[in-house]
Amino acid sequence: MTTPPTTAAPLEYSRVSRWYGPVIALNDISTKITPGVTGLLGPNGAGKSTLLKLAAGQLAPSQGEVRSFGLPAWGSPERFHRVGLSPETDAFWERLTGMEFLVTLLGLSGFDNAECKRRADEALDTVGLKAAAGRRLGGYSKGMRQRIRLAQAIAHDPDLLLLDEPLTGMDPVNRRRVIDLVKKYGREGRTVVVSSHILHEVEAMTRRVLLIHNGRILAEGEVREIRDLLDEHPHTVTLRARDPRSLASALVPAGHILSVRFGADNEWLTIQTAKPDEFYGSLHDLAIDTGVTEMYSPDDDLASVFQYLLARKR
Amino acid sequence: MTTGARDTTRALPFGRAARGVFTLSFDSMIWSRRSLFMGLFIGLPVLLSLLFRLTDMATRIGGEDFYHAIVVLFYVRNALPLMALFYATALIAEEVEGGTLTYLLARPVPRPAILAGKFAAYLTATLTLALPAVVGSFVLLVSDEGFAQLGSALPDLMRDLAVVALTLLAYGALFALLGVALRRPVIPGLVFLLVWELLANAPGYISRFTLSIYARYLVSYRAIPGINDGFSDPPSTAASVAALCGISVVCLSAAAMIFSRREYVSQQ
Repeated sequence: MTTPPTTAAPLEYSRVSRWYGPVIALNDISTKITPGVTGLLGPNGAGKSTLLKLAAGQLAPSQGEVRSFGLPAWGSPERFHRVGLSPETDAFWERLTGMEFLVTLLGLSGFDNAECKRRADEALDTVGLKAAAGRRLGGYSKGMRQRIRLAQAIAHDPDLLLLDEPLTGMDPVNRRRVIDLVKKYGREGRTVVVSSHILHEVEAMTRRVLLIHNGRILAEGEVREIRDLLDEHPHTVTLRARDPRSLASALVPAGHILSVRFGADNEWLTIQTAKPDEFYGSLHDLAIDTGVTEMYSPDDDLASVFQYLLARKR
Repeated sequence: MTTGARDTTRALPFGRAARGVFTLSFDSMIWSRRSLFMGLFIGLPVLLSLLFRLTDMATRIGGEDFYHAIVVLFYVRNALPLMALFYATALIAEEVEGGTLTYLLARPVPRPAILAGKFAAYLTATLTLALPAVVGSFVLLVSDEGFAQLGSALPDLMRDLAVVALTLLAYGALFALLGVALRRPVIPGLVFLLVWELLANAPGYISRFTLSIYARYLVSYRAIPGINDGFSDPPSTAASVAALCGISVVCLSAAAMIFSRREYVSQQ
């Protein structure tokens, strides 16, 4: 077996296409991902997950080649000493505790038992789940499940980290924690690829973005244009909070809130804001006081921006 | 790049990887609703044996004969193949449906080692359920005419236990192959058991194309009138063992090959 050349790019797509039956998910993609944080941005169904699954060697390209650290991504399990994957699927062996889950997967990365425990402990601490280490995964909340997925991806200290929608459903405090962690990894010279359909999420982590639409790369690099465009579009956020009415009362005076809608169960709140940056900035402190536990953003606004961009490109 | 004893340029050694997958899989396999149901199903003969001892059934049929009938008719012909079907087809399919296969495929582990670890877990779990049930039936029925009889019948028990293991191995390997090759393997597996395996009763060489014929012959050392005494030109014990082992090796190799080359994540 050959040792991968150290100069090889962490991730490289060469004329990659991928189709599922008659449906083309990716169409002739060529790009090189270098160290630092890269955001994969696109509406649902754009091809982000397929791009990540090709990088993770979970899918084989229908055409072209995906290489990582000089090795083909498909059929090179040895790569996973250096690659961490946080999948989008909310799936676990529910009977295992958080600690058992990490120790088992670290064991499959080749660490001895003592090292598995040490690393699992460290990863749980990093994602703020140390107190829940002994609890079964079946009893974890959605945000905790998201964080334990991240923990298993970072526990073996990978050089390439692939994160598929890592912030979905996470509360604002842990969202901040994960964003900081991703930025730290990028600063350390590791390669992090994060997929998201929310520009503000990606923007919080990096300026380097791959815009994907209909299986093609629409734009690459520091995308200021889309940022400007987004300012013209209202941004919708749905939150789950202990006290949604107090949260709304605290947010409304800011002036950028365009509409507020309460869910029937008195737990959910949907807000439309004209200034997403200000909204996210003020939410962090308010979230603790009003008990925000989950946060989602539909991709309708991003989809409309993409349609606009696409029309301009034509 | 090597960190201590951990060689990061290679996938984990096969045995070590398979052991890790075995530990993970055995635990979830044995503590499942399927195992609870299968444990009750496979333990039915123990209950029957108890009834046999407590009622006057023993006056009509000897305990040892009843035990052999249970092994041949219940275990080898029906219960063990069914057990193999429900466990072995789910080895990979369950991880795919549950979405957990992604975690195993994102480790430096050769894919055949994942299958090997899961198959070893299947075999251990099913033997853990089946062997005590066979032993329980044996003790309850063969001691019918006194405990001294147990000692003399012990070689029969050993042979039966070996047949149970071989039956689970061969059917398990076949159903593991169906499990990695097909998206919905249970129905084809049931068709195999309920239709194809009936050919074991057909005259001539066509019966040799079933698994059942070899397993049945291995427990036919003691003929039960009207049940397993009808073999004309039966396969020898050595041929039966070789056939069951050979089929297992071929099916497991084919399953490993398919599992190594196939995409499963898209199905999730």
